[in-house]
Amino acid sequence: MAAAFALAGCADETLPPGAVEIRYWTGWTGDELNAQKRLVDEFNRSHPRIRVRVLSVAGSYQKVRIGFAGGATPDVVSAVWADELAGYAARGVLRPLDPYLARSGRSIEEYVPGVSRMLQFKGRPYALAVTTNTNFILFNKKIFREVGLDPERPPRTLEELDAAAAACTQRNPDGSFVRYGYRPTGLMQWAYVFGGQWYDAASGEVTANHPANVQALDWMASYAAKYDVTRMQNFEATFGSNATPNGPFFVGKVAMWQTGEWARAHLTRHAPNLEYGWFPFPIPPGGRPSTSGAGGSVFVIPVASRHPDEAWEFLDWLTKPYAVAEFCESITNLPPLTELGKSRRFRDVPLMRFALDLAAGQNVFGPPGMPVWPRYVQEIRRVEDYAIFGRKPAQGLLDDMDFRVERDLVRTLREVE
Amino acid sequence: MKLSDTMRSKQGRRDLRNGLLFASPWLIHLAVLIAYPILSSFYYSLCNYDTLRPPRFIGLENYRILFTEDPLFYASLWNTFYMVVIGLPVGLFLSLGIALLMNQKLSGMAFYRTLYYLPSICPVVATSILWLWLLNPEMGLVNTMLGQIGVQGPGWLVAPEWAKPALILMGLWGAGGGMVIYLAALQDVPQQLYEAASLDGAGKIAQFRHVTLPMLSPVILFNLIMGLIGTFQYFTQAYVISRGSGGPQDSTLFYALHLFNVAFLDFRMGYACAMAWVLFLITLAASLAVFRSSARWVYYAGESR
Repeated sequence: MAAAFALAGCADETLPPGAVEIRYWTGWTGDELNAQKRLVDEFNRSHPRIRVRVLSVAGSYQKVRIGFAGGATPDVVSAVWADELAGYAARGVLRPLDPYLARSGRSIEEYVPGVSRMLQFKGRPYALAVTTNTNFILFNKKIFREVGLDPERPPRTLEELDAAAAACTQRNPDGSFVRYGYRPTGLMQWAYVFGGQWYDAASGEVTANHPANVQALDWMASYAAKYDVTRMQNFEATFGSNATPNGPFFVGKVAMWQTGEWARAHLTRHAPNLEYGWFPFPIPPGGRPSTSGAGGSVFVIPVASRHPDEAWEFLDWLTKPYAVAEFCESITNLPPLTELGKSRRFRDVPLMRFALDLAAGQNVFGPPGMPVWPRYVQEIRRVEDYAIFGRKPAQGLLDDMDFRVERDLVRTLREVE
Repeated sequence: MKLSDTMRSKQGRRDLRNGLLFASPWLIHLAVLIAYPILSSFYYSLCNYDTLRPPRFIGLENYRILFTEDPLFYASLWNTFYMVVIGLPVGLFLSLGIALLMNQKLSGMAFYRTLYYLPSICPVVATSILWLWLLNPEMGLVNTMLGQIGVQGPGWLVAPEWAKPALILMGLWGAGGGMVIYLAALQDVPQQLYEAASLDGAGKIAQFRHVTLPMLSPVILFNLIMGLIGTFQYFTQAYVISRGSGGPQDSTLFYALHLFNVAFLDFRMGYACAMAWVLFLITLAASLAVFRSSARWVYYAGESR
């Protein structure tokens, strides 16, 4: 019998008397999952009273939702997108974390402002984070030099970006692309750059047709018209994956690449000799300088957790500087804690320094804390798709979306209350 | 013997009990895993259900929103009807055509039959990804071949007006599945009918028209009904090639894909159940219409006309 247990690997699974097992569901996989598991092991060794069991639900965050529905709720979950947080919080299935933070002598203000805002719903923290990301534009210095642009002075205004994009673009005699300079994508992000917003949390109004949003979409559509979006898409269909040496930026098919600090890992591996620089999103007059996004996976404790105190003890440990630094360093992500962003440990590489400062800025926008946000995000993508093909004018599309999202929001809030 | 008589005898009762006992795995399966989910999906379609809180009864509200407020419902319905009205018949004709060719008495026919059948046993996800490359506008095989005969190929899956034709083209690759069924039916057509027809002076075309087609008609009906049900639920290929978005510009947002997104991205389960019931009723109506019409064009051997 004992032998059978040992063979099945159950021997070391038995809980010491008096210990509590908590279930932790994570969305990470691969290297990230291994890094999480190393931290969990370390926690388990140093906390004999608590045993954390990790389950990876990678690739299917829906499982979390189904888990809630089926009553199989875990004690700690990191497989929740920041986009979904408000929807969960508004429905009252997550524990507000302010009492726990206070008990541990901590505050949500430990996070950089953009992340801190993202973790709160109606003024209360409902989630914690261990990584963050930024968005900006990388450019190929060699191409800049070849076409007569100054590689040490990348575009700062929208006008300069448009000019650089045109200068870097090269076509075949039949009009198809050899290379294009830049193509703006991501209306959600660009609306913030133009000074717009999607939701006014103070008044509870959907602001999809904010004048700056309309300007941003008009500008994006102007690229599609100027460069012939069909040709651009046909060209893009030939792009290799950025996880291979055939990534379009690596092989010079595009001169400017809208991406984030995670691109560094790909560049180091797949294009070690590429000479590149970076710049924050250039702005139109009245725009917001150094705009960046925030998002990704966040950690929550469900109301249904049977061991919330133990769950907090684990989450507290996992989100303090020691564990956050270990995790971020092993997977080269940006730490979201202000303190770590200033630490020399993460500031050795120039690109990471730039990204850390960008992430710590005031113009970082995460999900705006409204329950229908995931659906809103899909709508924004859809509107962008229609506008760049010139099927409908930006103003009409955004007016229409504003009406529909507002209606959805009102209905959802009524259902939730 | 009537059931009441069976009940009266002791032996009969025992037989009934044993019979039910032996059938019970399937009866329980039917009740628990089929009937119960179907009935509860109908109940949920009358509820607001977001999976996080218990379902709340709201009457026909989901159906009202579906018909009056959801532009994507109509877009997805249009896309799905497009596949049913254009894609399905094209596929049926092609598999019939291939089956007729494969029914010739030539050497090596077994090899060709295998060759044509092979694609239909490949996993749909794998073939969809394969076709994503074949239909690549710049370096795909399809446009390269079109280019060699001087035709500038379209953007296929990146152009909204070509995305559905591209999917239909993809679907034709799987025509071998229908072909096998036609082929089996073709070999069942009695030779004496052809002999009799040719003695009556019928040519090849007249033989096809008056012998082959009527004899095949029950199988055509079968393929049509199965195709109808399958096409109304068209999902996998569109999910793979548009990565779930239904793009470009909603041109591949089929009904089942929209339903899936509503259920598993938005978690509006009640609304998704309402969508499922509307799809069920549409499929039922279409199948019934085909069945009704079949009296006029399907011929069962031994029937008098």
